[in-house]
Amino acid sequence: MPLSRALARHQTPAILIVLLAIIACLSLVGQSDALQVTLTEMFIRVVVVVGLYVFIGNSGIISFGQIGFMCIGAYAAAWATGEPTFKQIMLQGLPVFLQEAQYPFLVAMAGAMVLPAAVALILGFAIMRLAGTAASIATFAFLIIVNSVYSNWDSVTAGVSSIIGIPTVVGPWTAYVFAAVAIVVAYLFQVSRIGLMLRASRDDEVAARASAVHVLRVRLAAFVLSAALCGLGGGLYAQFLGILTVDPFYLSLSFITLAMLVVGGMFSLTGAVVGVVVVTAVVEILRALERGVGLGDTAFSLPSGSQEIGLGVVMALILIFRPSGLARGKEFRLFRAAPAAPAASAAEPALQLSESPTSAR
Amino acid sequence: MIQPYVEPQARTIDRSRTNAATLEVEGLSVLFQGLAAISDVSLTVNRHEVFGLIGPNGAGKTTLVNCLTGFQRPTSGRILLGGDDTSGWPAARFRERGVARTFQAGRLFKDMSVSENVEVTGTGLGLGLRSAREHARALLDWVGLSDKAQLPAGALAYTDQRRLGIARSLVLSPAFILLDEPAAGMSDAECEDLNELVAAIPQLFTCGVLLIEHNMRVVMGISHRIHVLDGGKTIAEGTPEEIQRHEAVLAAYLGMDA
Repeated sequence: MPLSRALARHQTPAILIVLLAIIACLSLVGQSDALQVTLTEMFIRVVVVVGLYVFIGNSGIISFGQIGFMCIGAYAAAWATGEPTFKQIMLQGLPVFLQEAQYPFLVAMAGAMVLPAAVALILGFAIMRLAGTAASIATFAFLIIVNSVYSNWDSVTAGVSSIIGIPTVVGPWTAYVFAAVAIVVAYLFQVSRIGLMLRASRDDEVAARASAVHVLRVRLAAFVLSAALCGLGGGLYAQFLGILTVDPFYLSLSFITLAMLVVGGMFSLTGAVVGVVVVTAVVEILRALERGVGLGDTAFSLPSGSQEIGLGVVMALILIFRPSGLARGKEFRLFRAAPAAPAASAAEPALQLSESPTSAR
Repeated sequence: MIQPYVEPQARTIDRSRTNAATLEVEGLSVLFQGLAAISDVSLTVNRHEVFGLIGPNGAGKTTLVNCLTGFQRPTSGRILLGGDDTSGWPAARFRERGVARTFQAGRLFKDMSVSENVEVTGTGLGLGLRSAREHARALLDWVGLSDKAQLPAGALAYTDQRRLGIARSLVLSPAFILLDEPAAGMSDAECEDLNELVAAIPQLFTCGVLLIEHNMRVVMGISHRIHVLDGGKTIAEGTPEEIQRHEAVLAAYLGMDA
């Protein structure tokens, strides 16, 4: 039964995708706008946080800059799909092929991946040479640079005013499909040759180099793929909101997405996805409590700002009691893949990558 | 008994780049902020031999191995691999061209499985995942770790970690393997086992071995030639018998005046 064996072997992404599908079904239950918005944002964040994971989780280098790639992706999508009349008046610095045409959604998403990936390729050549903390600081600088370029390059980004009239075609289900795609892509990367070499360099860079791993190259590959996924998240976000400014793509989004990755556990794909779901749930519950709930006759509400404080408390508790995150570097596995018979195993390698403990520092 | 090693096929790998016959060090010096860790050392390791490198602590043995594998830039002097000048090569290139090494501290990929530890080298050298896994299986068989292939490497016993380090560096039969104190901290019986393993490498893998070792019994037992460093300088080179009688060597080790 090749199908069931394939499923057993690749159960981690399958389980994650099913889990998200169940959550997506919530959008059918309650038709409230707030719920649709929450779910859509959550799935977009899955794309972004899975993008963060591709680089941070596999390389072990914290990057604060990936939201910069999200910003680049969002603007790329806006340039591709925005109203030509608006673009010709407000965004006169754009090349003509963007100014005068309006491209379909999928083309825009492709652009939202390619542009950040290209930037990451160039930037990565410089940053990947740095080690550890220095690389992290450089990525943070990149975030600041993107923010100031995009808020001042008036002729292309409309500066601090917003780009309007972007078709809003992204709802919960569209966002879900892209979240599933992101999970599959991240998984395939993780179990690939490059993923293996990159995780080796995370464990011990010196030993990886002695094992013929060109550490800079494999890191760069992950950085570029991560940028593409974060850019995709940005593109989806632009086509979800319909209106775009630079503001959301800065510190608070950087920190909340990193918080999601840390809470879930940054060394497994499961951790990345679970982190988004758990943090979103915590934030939504606190937000609801801030609005107030009726308990019999008395209305009870938390003071505004409890949402941020509550999230901070959750993060602190995780860091104290489960420093490697909820997933502890493990992947979801419901059943073990059948061990291949020794004779047949050469032709049919069981998936050893995710069976082994990916990491638990 | 050491069993024979049968290397799985690897059709995509070009062997002509990794068949250097000699690894030569010519007048090598390394200065750390003016302090000489190695001064003017020359030696040649041939394929098919076990070449012992000994010396008291701080003699510069590990620094020399770091130079020979791209982890330390020499201040002056050259390293030639099969006649090719290696200056400027990154560490990964040394391994690609057939110079492998192990580390004193083991440096395994602790969070990865035993098998993956070996697969990394295979993929680094250009094998596909499946092929890398076959090579890992064959090598783990050879060092006697195949039953532990799926354990995390960090869970291995100390001696097994050493064996894994050796397995990892033998993927695709390098031209030279540099073993940095593989027997450190082992009991006499464990040393015997390791001795056998190391002594079999030149034949089975057509590979030269440069062996750094403190344990005199190990080095004297399996080396064909021995090079002695003290304070970063060469004080002797010769067969084990010659070295055991060499006055400067005795002085360096026993603190006698030569």
